[in-house]
Amino acid sequence: MPPVENDPGREQIRSRIKELIDSSQVLVFSKSYCPFCVKVKELFKELNVKCNALELDLMENGTYYQDLLHEMTGQKTVPNVFINKKHIGGCDNTLKAHKDGVLQQLLGEGSEVYDYDLIVIGGGSGGLASSKEAAILGQKVMVLDYVAPTPKGTTWGLGGTCVNVGCIPKKLMHQTAMLGTAMQDARKFGWEFSEQVTHNWDTMKTAVNNYIGSLNWGYRVSLRDKNVNYVNSYAEFVEPHKIKATNKRGKEMFYTASKFILATGERPRYLGIPGDKEYCITSDDLFSLAYCPGKTLVIGASYVALECGGFLAGLGLDVTIMVRSILLRGFDQDMANRAGDHMETHGVKFIRKFVPVKIEELEAGTPGRLKVTAKSTESDEIIEGEYNTVLIAVGRDACTGNIGLDKAGVQVNPKNGKIPVNDEEQTNVPHIYAIGDILEGKWELTPVAIQAGKLLARRLFGGSSLKCDYVNVPTTVFTPMEYGSCGYAEEKAVEIYGQENLEVYHSLFWPLEFTVAGRDNNRCYAKIICNKLDNERVIGFHYLGPNAGEVTQGFGAAMKCGITKDQLENTIGIHPTCAEIFTTMEVTKNSGGDITQSGC
Amino acid sequence: MASRLLMRRVCSLSVRDFCRRPVTVSSSSSYSSSLTSSPAVQAFVTRSLLRPLFHTRSVSFNVQDQEDFTDRVVNSELPVLVDFHAQWCGPCKILGPRLEKAIAKQKGRVNMAKVDIDEHTDLAIEYGVSAVPTVIAMRGGDVIDQFVGIKDEDQLDSFAKRVSE
Ligand SMILES: Cc1cc2nc3c(=O)[nH]c(=O)nc-3n(C[C@H](O)[C@H](O)[C@H](O)COP(=O)(O)OP(=O)(O)OC[C@H]3O[C@@H](n4cnc5c(N)ncnc54)[C@H](O)[C@@H]3O)c2cc1C
Repeated sequence: MPPVENDPGREQIRSRIKELIDSSQVLVFSKSYCPFCVKVKELFKELNVKCNALELDLMENGTYYQDLLHEMTGQKTVPNVFINKKHIGGCDNTLKAHKDGVLQQLLGEGSEVYDYDLIVIGGGSGGLASSKEAAILGQKVMVLDYVAPTPKGTTWGLGGTCVNVGCIPKKLMHQTAMLGTAMQDARKFGWEFSEQVTHNWDTMKTAVNNYIGSLNWGYRVSLRDKNVNYVNSYAEFVEPHKIKATNKRGKEMFYTASKFILATGERPRYLGIPGDKEYCITSDDLFSLAYCPGKTLVIGASYVALECGGFLAGLGLDVTIMVRSILLRGFDQDMANRAGDHMETHGVKFIRKFVPVKIEELEAGTPGRLKVTAKSTESDEIIEGEYNTVLIAVGRDACTGNIGLDKAGVQVNPKNGKIPVNDEEQTNVPHIYAIGDILEGKWELTPVAIQAGKLLARRLFGGSSLKCDYVNVPTTVFTPMEYGSCGYAEEKAVEIYGQENLEVYHSLFWPLEFTVAGRDNNRCYAKIICNKLDNERVIGFHYLGPNAGEVTQGFGAAMKCGITKDQLENTIGIHPTCAEIFTTMEVTKNSGGDITQSGC
Repeated sequence: MASRLLMRRVCSLSVRDFCRRPVTVSSSSSYSSSLTSSPAVQAFVTRSLLRPLFHTRSVSFNVQDQEDFTDRVVNSELPVLVDFHAQWCGPCKILGPRLEKAIAKQKGRVNMAKVDIDEHTDLAIEYGVSAVPTVIAMRGGDVIDQFVGIKDEDQLDSFAKRVSE
């Protein structure tokens, strides 16, 4: 009605609304009792954004406001949300905009300008890959990496776990051990050399660490060349878009960014028993240990435990592994036990179903002497043992507890400190992403962290939509007899598909290289798990034998392509190799047929 | 975005082109002003005052920090060969002594500075070091020559000679 249009009171309110819209970063027309309004206001509180809320039900002329808002926006209901002068809509629209990240963009506009497009916390496998990729795509990027020293004081350079205290030194020391085996075999092949063969820990340690030094430098140079700003400081959130960076000398700096990637990785878990941090070491210390560890007790049955125990034994050390329950939890148990049995036949002692309760120092030294007291998990039996070194390898904890995630509002699984993300590695806070070992329910492997980091950067800044595929990831455990796998463990496959729908083909085999050397017959083992409901597609691949990583990689590619048992059979083997066994597997587990090799 | 990219490319180019790096003004003045306070500083100043006398005896020194580098390399009156090396680098261990020998033959006409790239990463990054050993020759604060990798004694002799001229 025209008369109303001219009502001066009404015009006053209209200009008041306009004024409010123009002057507020976030404006919510609300009613104090409305649950949707509460939800929206809470969201902004969580985001740490100041929100100007007008409770229409508490205002004298609230209904006029609502009328006019209807006229101006076409929206009758509350909440009615504006951000930086733009009409967003009601509760659903606002929440959706938040989920899509649009809200953050709108909030960013007209307000803050950030120091960086992207800040990556953690310069390990995932962090370096994502920061470099983002910089290649033209973003202004900072990566922070800081290594907190171990209780023993060990620290290392740029590049994260894999390079410094993981894959690289581990594989090189495994190789050291295998050379020892090769030397024993060599005599059978006619090589003659002095009976006395010794290993020098210091030479190995220095050579391995020199190589790592060169890798650290290489990473540093490539960050410079790609214009990634690298800061050697510990980062923690102080606000959703702001971090505090503290360097070695305690100097604090603050940086802001539009987006963040968390890639802080994990560190070894301790036992929480007397003497563990004082006297024991972890894999973080082992690879740069200044002295040969001597008689060693490894506590744990993780792959880190078995790998480290394996190569230490391979160097000729007296090694015992104390296991609480099963070996290699999460891996195919049939395979895990075979890998363990092989270690046992090669001199590694296992103490099963015991947990340590205290560690005492008998004598300091390099190495010293330690007394370990352990308790049975099944009875009251207590045992004691004396070792030079105790290596704890009972798992790793995500480094998410002290990085101010509460200040940024990032949700963490309180049970394990892991960060849940969606299939785009996005946390519950839309501008904060996470990759690598800290992810809930994902693979803890370097190539996975790298792939996820690269693809994430491409999606964020390169217009790509390709997501990281966490299915059929091949992997290898470098026990003395290596174990490679891809796809499901047998027990997992049974759980998902049911025994009756699976066909499991398996075979023992004797690598040609071992025959003349006369060792390890009927130790190597191959197994594939096929889904009968789907053309006998291979859904699980397991290989215990030499060069497992090299063998498994190609089959991993085949499984990505959906290879079936038929196609494997139609593949011609390469003779004489170990991998060829997969092209000729006939005996199924169901049949109970004989799989032992009887030599020539 | 594009302009920023370009900017950065230019910056990094200039670093890699070994432009004369900005000289920090602080060094000498701050030392003289605190001359009386600390014996360590005093010793340092005395040593640096006396240094010319030692030329023929000790031809090389380890760079202590940025300031030291500015003082003894960038502001040096003599040309200086800077040997960027690392503990973990095998070839560096061979090159270092060879280089010292070559410098000694120049009888004080050129100095040699050693920079451990892990201890002084910023310096190495700033001077565009990608691989070690990298040797750069500086005169009057400018990089006048450089090489990467190992060289035999004759090559080093002629390198040192060229730089000292
Ligand atoms: C003994 C051992 C052997 C392994 N062997 C293999 C193998 O053979 N193959 C394989 O694929 N994987 C292996 N892994 C696993 C592999 O190392 C990890 O999956 C990989 O490193 C994970 O990468 P990431 O980026 O998540 O974290 P990381 O590589 O752990 O990097 C995280 C980095 O962030 C830093 N950081 C943490 N918090 C902060 C903070 N607040 N501020 C700044 N910096 C911070 C850390 O110091 C670290 O440098 C092994 C691991 C171990 C322990």
